[in-house]
Amino acid sequence: MMPSLNEYLMVSGLLFAIGFAGVLMRRNIIIIFMCLEMMLSAANLSLVAFWRFGNGQGMPAQGYDAQVLVFFVIAVAAAEVAVGLAIIVALFRARCTVHVEDLNSMKG
Amino acid sequence: MLPYYLEICVVVLGSLMLCMELFAGRRSRAKIAMVGVAGLGVIFALLMFAVCSPGEDLQYWGIYHFDKWAAFYKGLALISTLLVLVMAREFAPVFKHYTSQDEEKSGIGEFYCLPIFVCSGLMWMASAKDLVTIFVSLELVTMGFYVLVAFMRRNVGSLEAGVKYLILGALSTGFLVYGIAWTFGVSGTFNLEELSVVLAGDDIPSAPVMFAFALLIAGIGFKIAVVPFQIWVPDVYQGAAMPVTAYLSVASKAAGFIVFLRVVDPFLAAPSIREPAIYLMVFVTCATLIYGNLAAIAQKNIKRLLAYSSIAHAGFLLMALPALGAAGTIAGPGPESAISFYLAGYLLMTLLCFLVLTVVRVATNGEDLTALEGLGKRSPFLAFAMLVGVASLAGIPLTVGFFGKFFLFNIAIQNAMQNGLWIVVFLAVLGAATGFYYYFKIIRAMYWEGSVSEGEVTGLKVGRLAMLAIILLVVAVFFFGIFPAPLLGLTL
Amino acid sequence: MIATGFAVTTLLLSVALGKSARRNKIKDSPYECGMLPIGESQPRFSVKFYLVAMLFVIFDIEVVFMYPWALTFRDFLARDQAAMVFWSMSGFVGILLVAYLYALKKGALSWES
Repeated sequence: MMPSLNEYLMVSGLLFAIGFAGVLMRRNIIIIFMCLEMMLSAANLSLVAFWRFGNGQGMPAQGYDAQVLVFFVIAVAAAEVAVGLAIIVALFRARCTVHVEDLNSMKG
Repeated sequence: MLPYYLEICVVVLGSLMLCMELFAGRRSRAKIAMVGVAGLGVIFALLMFAVCSPGEDLQYWGIYHFDKWAAFYKGLALISTLLVLVMAREFAPVFKHYTSQDEEKSGIGEFYCLPIFVCSGLMWMASAKDLVTIFVSLELVTMGFYVLVAFMRRNVGSLEAGVKYLILGALSTGFLVYGIAWTFGVSGTFNLEELSVVLAGDDIPSAPVMFAFALLIAGIGFKIAVVPFQIWVPDVYQGAAMPVTAYLSVASKAAGFIVFLRVVDPFLAAPSIREPAIYLMVFVTCATLIYGNLAAIAQKNIKRLLAYSSIAHAGFLLMALPALGAAGTIAGPGPESAISFYLAGYLLMTLLCFLVLTVVRVATNGEDLTALEGLGKRSPFLAFAMLVGVASLAGIPLTVGFFGKFFLFNIAIQNAMQNGLWIVVFLAVLGAATGFYYYFKIIRAMYWEGSVSEGEVTGLKVGRLAMLAIILLVVAVFFFGIFPAPLLGLTL
Repeated sequence: MIATGFAVTTLLLSVALGKSARRNKIKDSPYECGMLPIGESQPRFSVKFYLVAMLFVIFDIEVVFMYPWALTFRDFLARDQAAMVFWSMSGFVGILLVAYLYALKKGALSWES
């Protein structure tokens, strides 16, 4: 049985929702960061699925635009992780914590 | 000269400065900022003279457009980056305090390079008419800002701001990519022009299109700080270094708005989803106007106050959006021109305020309203410059801010007369009135509060370049406030 | 369906029937019948590890963009656009080179310091 577009979209929507819920509910910044990466992966999955079923008759769409965007998203995610972990490590050195409740020096 | 050589020039300039920071000796390393300022000046001149061809719409490979707005926003990006470098030079003592006293370890050279790379992203954003290029250039800008915001690594506020910006920025990236994926799913294209053709068709299912539209708004709305995607703004503005805050509030917002306009346009033009899309926009506009203006009233920290005021300004800018593609003609400049004019004026007045604040911050080490107390006596020149900037932000006649608000209200009122939506106009008038109050707080602190003993009157130290920049900005605010035509002509 | 159902049922059954799932203080200690461990449970890694790992990830991902370029190179040759396609990749590699030089000169790749 070949899965259809709907199933792929369902899985990707589920991934996206799990990631988003994790961002909202988890307290550890590293885990929040992992959830964010999951959201990007969900978007990648739906991009590839939309491309694969692109022409309406279950065949791939013309051109490779979607795949190129997926490459870009992967690269951006990697760069985001590199920059993000560096910032989190710097924060950990200064505050000895990676919990969001402790980020409370600014109010108003 | 091909227009995209401009971006290449900027990237080459940034790489050169990075190499200078790596290989040059101590003496020439101190000149990195000057090299950056000079290089950006040359590139701005190239933009003015070499590629100025009005009315032309050049396209390259379908992903890069060069039209009048692209040129206009490229100019804005270059000018703001240039002024931010000037500001960063003034701010260097504070940087060293929060990173390392040692020039080599403080990484101040990198701090001058990063805005250059961000600038190339901003310029590319101005030309992007394809969702893939929009995504990549937007990320280039955001990634640069992550580092810039968290740059003062010994300052807890800066690091916290960095983490908050990082998490919420990455979240908005997720929404943006998912929105792009769904847009591709319903239309089969990334190109905005092809997208508007596809969306104008009758057999487009409106639910998934609206879903994609909402996700895209969430992604880009984060960059231009509209409610409900504004939660990062106050903290990040407060925590980041003064030049970075200025850069965020001006350049990031301007480039975000041109992308916003280009992305929203095909959706508003599609008959089947125009109505829900307009209601979504009106809701966002009203929320932004209310939140930005009301929250600004109680602020004591100047950067926080300017952060909320920047949210309020985004609300004023959004006011012109419902008129985009609406039935009926509008006298005076159209929505896009009014928004571009306002953003240019916003650049002038905001950077003026932040330049003065940078000088005050370096001298007094304070960022609260109390730091400004007695500035009228300590340095009449700086106080006057700040007065001009703040008056322009409030929209007092004879300043550029007045005409900016005037054109936007003109559009909103005419659109309301033709298509309803008076609520937006009502809230905007209320917001502008509130604005007078909280901007006046700054003026009051400068001139009427705080007693200055004779010993303190010894003025604040202003670098020569910063002085020149302040004078030029004051003149520009007045000039375009009296003769708006030259600036408006660039956007028509 | 059957596979998923089997997996879920087995998991649920093992939780419901298994006695080992019940927790107490001794069960939660790292070694149930050994000495209590001293110090942190996870050994601390030097930040150097993260630095090198991050640089690896970044430079690793960049190569992704060279594959499509290599695949389409022939098409561009056939259309007489070899120069354009060559110089665009040279620009990409040039920027990478600057980044690499930066990492090298700042000592991010050296272990001793």
